[in-house]
Amino acid sequence: MMMLVLAWKNVWRNKRRSLIIVAATAIGLTAGLFYAGFVTAMYAAIIDSGINREFGNIQIHTSAYKSDRLIHQFLPDLPVVLHTIQADSNVRSFATHSIIEGMASSATTASGVAIVAVNPEQEQQVTAIARSLVEGVYLDKTNSIIVGKKLSEKLKLKLRSRVVLSFAGMDGNIIYGAFRVAGIFKTDGSNFDGATVFIRQDDLKPLLGTADVPIHEIVVRTHSEEILDRTKVKLQNAMPGDVVVETWRELAPELKLTGDSVDIVNTVMLGIILFALLFGLINTLLMSVLDRVRDFGVLLAVGMYRRRLFLMIILESLLLSFTGGFAGVVLGWGITEFFGRFGLDLSAFSAGLSSFGIPSLVYPYINPSTYGTLAIMMVITSIIAALYPAIKAVRLRPVEAIRTIA
Amino acid sequence: MPVIEVRNLNKIYNTTSVPVQALKDISLSIEEKEFTAIVGPSGSGKTTLLNLVGGLDSVTDGKVLLDGRDITTMREGQLIDFRLHHIGFVFQAYNLIPVLTALENVEFVLFLQQVGKHERNQRAMELLERVGLEELADRRPADLSGGQQQRVAVARALASHPAFVLADEPTANLDSHTAESLLDLMEDLNKNSGITFVFSTHDPRVIQRARRVITLEDGHITGDRVQIPQRAST
Repeated sequence: MMMLVLAWKNVWRNKRRSLIIVAATAIGLTAGLFYAGFVTAMYAAIIDSGINREFGNIQIHTSAYKSDRLIHQFLPDLPVVLHTIQADSNVRSFATHSIIEGMASSATTASGVAIVAVNPEQEQQVTAIARSLVEGVYLDKTNSIIVGKKLSEKLKLKLRSRVVLSFAGMDGNIIYGAFRVAGIFKTDGSNFDGATVFIRQDDLKPLLGTADVPIHEIVVRTHSEEILDRTKVKLQNAMPGDVVVETWRELAPELKLTGDSVDIVNTVMLGIILFALLFGLINTLLMSVLDRVRDFGVLLAVGMYRRRLFLMIILESLLLSFTGGFAGVVLGWGITEFFGRFGLDLSAFSAGLSSFGIPSLVYPYINPSTYGTLAIMMVITSIIAALYPAIKAVRLRPVEAIRTIA
Repeated sequence: MPVIEVRNLNKIYNTTSVPVQALKDISLSIEEKEFTAIVGPSGSGKTTLLNLVGGLDSVTDGKVLLDGRDITTMREGQLIDFRLHHIGFVFQAYNLIPVLTALENVEFVLFLQQVGKHERNQRAMELLERVGLEELADRRPADLSGGQQQRVAVARALASHPAFVLADEPTANLDSHTAESLLDLMEDLNKNSGITFVFSTHDPRVIQRARRVITLEDGHITGDRVQIPQRAST
């Protein structure tokens, strides 16, 4: 305890010098933690956005559809598949999709699109498209269509505009269908918005001339993310042979990578900040050691072991960096909490951000594990910073050190 | 058995291209409860001798036996431990730890000896009382006069119950009155508590208060006399 007291008093022996490094540490960590909170929230938002927009938690297709995406590669034994899903208590909701690659034509131009025929009631339980409407209403009427904002701009579509969809039917013949724009949606994925349209499954039936639409995809939402793998395995085991059950991590490995890389990105960023602070800390400790050569000589003379002197300088480094670190954590936490509550408005950059699936309003938050990582990194930084000054101190010869002029 | 015994001690400094022999074949012994001054002009080897006797510097040749143990053969860890438990140091420039209070400065030696908090606090306070500074226990060195700081340094030197105290020019930075007062204190500790003091000094006030005076010149002992100590007339 006395060693700790002495180390603490030594830290404040030169108040200005210590305050400078404490302030630098505090500012650096405030920025680092806020950045970590921002990145964590942004990456989580990207993942949530992807899940809510198109992937859901789990998707079910045939293996053939996954590679070719052809109209006749629909799910076999649909009643069995649906019954299996409905029977699973881990499933919160699900929606069936009939997805056909085709062309959307307006009065002025045309564009390739994925035509997604949905059951509107089911769909609203599973994806966020209905909540992403910026104009109009969801699929409320016969032959209504909703299109992405980007596509509407490309095809110069407005509400009530006429759109003709064309696609290859089951027999390979081209089918045309006329629809009226009921709504325009805007998600965080501009690529999705530029190449996807939604229609009602009931409107697809007459075009295909079938009693039932071919279902190519079932999107499933589970009660939580934690039960995802368990649910996937359970569903997969109960499915007919050619049916593939995949989680969003398998469907969108780039999203998985995003989630997995949050901790790495944050650790690297905090590491860069601490690396820069390391030199300031070394400088402060070295100056402090050089100022106290005579004191160290006296301590060694009266019987202080060199290892204790070494420990004292390590302690001083830890106290110095943790004082700044504590201030930085409090400030960083406070600022992150503030923006976490009120949101960080990035709408000025929304056009660019949406192409990466990043929302324009981000609510930063810091994972508790970040504090643990930071503490470990700070201990390591403090010890590394103290090594050279401490080695310099313990190598002093008391007889020479005592004679040093303070 | 003498508390300090030096046999054929030589010290050569090789810090420059020309080796300098600071001590030449020094032999002496100091008994318990002595009040001895090592005197001589600057550069005569007083401080070097004290440093070697205190185990702060390594000998070139010869032996230093303290309480019968040869410290020249000790490893560094043993030597630090020996200094902690057997030798008290008083330096010319006081050399207190500036961030610690007077009490904490005295306590620190006891802390190094791993004495418990309560006991070391009690003992440090007793020592400050002995040097007349109990009222100033909470003051830092910067808030004490030179004489008061040196008294704290004496208390610190006594904290470990040393076999002897080595004082290197203890009065050099003090005015006459303060120096006399400090000498009174050390003389009192010597007479009444039996503490052995060895000074290096060229201060006549110290020399006349010593009971034994060893004179060094050019690294040789040129005189070793026992005298009746005298108090300064001022």
